Amino acid sequence: MKIKSILIANRGEIAIRIIKTARKMGIRSYVIKTAKEPNAWYLEEADRIIDFSENFDESIPEFLDIERIIKSAKKHKVDAIHPGYGFLAENPDFARRCEESKIIFIGPSHEIIYRMGHKTIAKELARESGVPLLGGSPGAVSDAEEARRVASEIGYPVILKAAAGGGGRGMRVVSREKDIERMFSLATNEAAKAFNNPDVFLEKFVREPRHIEFQILADQHGNIVHLGERECSVQRKHQKLLEESPSPALNSSLRKKMGDAAIKIARSVNYYSAGTVEFLLDSENNFSFMEMNTRIQVEHPVTEMVTGIDLIEQMILIAEGEKLPFTQKDIKLKGWAIEWRINAEDVQSGFSPSLGTIEKISWVENEHVRVDTGVRDGSVITPYFDSMIAKLIIHAETRERALQLSSQAIMKFWIKGTKTTLAFCRAVLQNSNFRKGNFNTSFISKELKIHYQNEPDEALLAAFFATYDYAREMNENEEKPLHTENGKAITPWVLKKRLR
Amino acid sequence: MAREAKKKKTTKLIALSSTNKAYEFNRPLEKKIKYQGKVVDIKLHEDPKGFSYIVWKNKKYMLDVIEKKQNRYTIMVNGVWHSFTVETPVSLKRKRYLEQQVDLSVGVSIEAPMPGKIIDILVEEGSEVKEGEPIIILEAMKMQNEISSHISGIVQSVSVKKNESVMKDDILMEIRRA
Repeated sequence: MKIKSILIANRGEIAIRIIKTARKMGIRSYVIKTAKEPNAWYLEEADRIIDFSENFDESIPEFLDIERIIKSAKKHKVDAIHPGYGFLAENPDFARRCEESKIIFIGPSHEIIYRMGHKTIAKELARESGVPLLGGSPGAVSDAEEARRVASEIGYPVILKAAAGGGGRGMRVVSREKDIERMFSLATNEAAKAFNNPDVFLEKFVREPRHIEFQILADQHGNIVHLGERECSVQRKHQKLLEESPSPALNSSLRKKMGDAAIKIARSVNYYSAGTVEFLLDSENNFSFMEMNTRIQVEHPVTEMVTGIDLIEQMILIAEGEKLPFTQKDIKLKGWAIEWRINAEDVQSGFSPSLGTIEKISWVENEHVRVDTGVRDGSVITPYFDSMIAKLIIHAETRERALQLSSQAIMKFWIKGTKTTLAFCRAVLQNSNFRKGNFNTSFISKELKIHYQNEPDEALLAAFFATYDYAREMNENEEKPLHTENGKAITPWVLKKRLR
Repeated sequence: MAREAKKKKTTKLIALSSTNKAYEFNRPLEKKIKYQGKVVDIKLHEDPKGFSYIVWKNKKYMLDVIEKKQNRYTIMVNGVWHSFTVETPVSLKRKRYLEQQVDLSVGVSIEAPMPGKIIDILVEEGSEVKEGEPIIILEAMKMQNEISSHISGIVQSVSVKKNESVMKDDILMEIRRA
C-alpha cells in the first residue's frame, strides 16, 4: 500500500529530517505540537500540526502518550506513523497498537521490537546464530545480591545495563564489589525512569573496546543487506559525541565478517526495516554482539553520505511492502563521512546541560557539509528534551580530507547564546591519536586531557571584551556607581571602614 | 578620600579571571591594548547576521557575552568561556582583603550544577562526607547525575527534598569543613 500521509511521533531535527524525505516522496507530514516548545521549527516544516499543547496529561510526556497519538492518527486518517528515535521508537506496545489500529508503523513488527529490545532474548538469538557474545547474567538480575553473585562469577569489571535500554541511559560500569549495590540502584532507577522498566542485566565489561555498529536494511520479503559500519567509539558516559563511516579499525575482510554476523542476527528474527547491530571490538579484533537497535539512529547520516542511500526513504518503502531495490554487491562505500554532534553542553563543567536561548545560529553548507538541525535563531533549549542542537556531517574522499574540512566547518559554525560542544570537537581534531584513527571508547577519559581547545590569547581577548563592555556602560551611565553590592551602591564610608 | 576617588575617573580597569589571573587595561579602552609591552590595535566587528568578533593578529575570534551581572562577566571566545569580575584598583584591593577574612567554620554550600529534579539524597544532616563522594542524584535532560561533594566535612544542613525540582545554582546542602 502506498503511504500518502505520515504522523511523525517525534520532534527536533529528526522530525525535520523525516519531513524532508516525506516531501520528496509526495507524502503529507503531520507533527505534534507540545506546550513545551510551541514555537519549535519542526512545526513550521510540517504540512499539518496536531495540537497537544492544551489539555495535556502532566503525568505522561506527549511523545510517550501512546493512546493519544493513536487516537489523533485515526482522527486525521493518517496512513502511517514514523517514530524517529527515542520516545516510542522501540516500544513494542506502540507498534502493536498501530498494527491493531490499521496504521502502518514505519519500523519492524512489534514482535521483532520486543525480542530485540529484550536483551536476554536478543542474546539468545545471537547465540543460536553463532555470533560471538560476552559472558553475563542469563536474564535480568532481580536484586543487588544477585548482581553481586553474578559479578563475582564472571569477574570485575562488569556493566549493568537496562534491559529495555538504549542510548547509553541506565548503564553503569562497576569495577569493585563495594560499589555494586549503589550502582545497581542507580541503574534500576534510571532504567525505570527512562524506559518504564527497572530491569537491568549484567555482563562482562570489556576494557577499552571500540564501539562498531552495522546498518541493516531488510524488506518484508527476506532480503537483507548491510550498509557498512559506523565507528562510534568517541563516547562520554556511553553518550556518542561523534561517529564516522567507515571505521579506521576495519579492513574489508573484518568488515565482511562483522557484516555477515549482523545479517545473521537480523535474519534470526526475520527482521525488516532499518536497524542497527552493535558490536564491541577488542584490541585483538575480536568482536562480540552487544545489541540490535530496531529504529533509525541519530548517526544515520554518515551511512547515507557514504552509500548515497536515503535511509528514511527506504524505511517508508519497506513499510509499504516494497522489495529492496539493491543487493549486497550493489552497496559501495564511497569516501569518508564524520558526524559531529553539537550539543548544548558546558564542556568546561563536565558536559553539564546548558539551557537558554539560541540567539543566533549560522553555518556554511556545501557539497561536503550537511547540517541536520531542529533549531534556528530564537530557539529555546528546554530541560524537557535532550541537549542536541545540531549534527554537522562532513563527507570527503578520504578521512584526512574529512578531518581537514571538519576543522573549517567547525570554525564556521557559529552559535550565540548558549555553551556548546564545538570547542570539544576542536580538541578532538587536535589530538594526534584521533587523527591517526587510533582510539577506543576510553578516548575521552584517558587520551583527551583537556575537553576543549583554546589558544592563549583567547583569555586575554575575553578579558579585554569584558572590560571594554563594562567601561562602555560606565561611560554611558555615569551615575551608575562603581562599587555595588546586591545591586545597591556601597557608600564611601562603609567602603572606607571595610578597607581599614 | 574615597568620595573623590569615586568621582574621579578611574584610569585603570582590571578583569580578574575565575582562576585569579588579573588582566589590566588602561581607560579609555579605545581599540588599543597593551600587549607584551607594545600597544596593539584591536578591532571589534559585527557581521551582518549580528555575530560579534575581534580581529587580532589577522585572526578572527568569535565573541559572545554568555552572562553579565553587574561587574560579573562570562565571555565566550571561539566557543570557550572565560569568567571575570571587572574591578577598579580600589575594588580589587577590597576584594582581596575580604577574601582573607573568610571564616573556615562556616559551611560551604553545594549548589545544583544544572536545573533538574532531586532523585535521591545519599546523605543526611550530620553525615560525614569525603571529597568526591556522591551526595545527591539529580536528574536533568533525562540523565541521572551524581552530584559529589567538593570538600570533605560534616553535612550541616540539607536544603532540598526528594522529588523536588531545583534551578541551577540552588543550594542543595551545606557542608562544614572537618
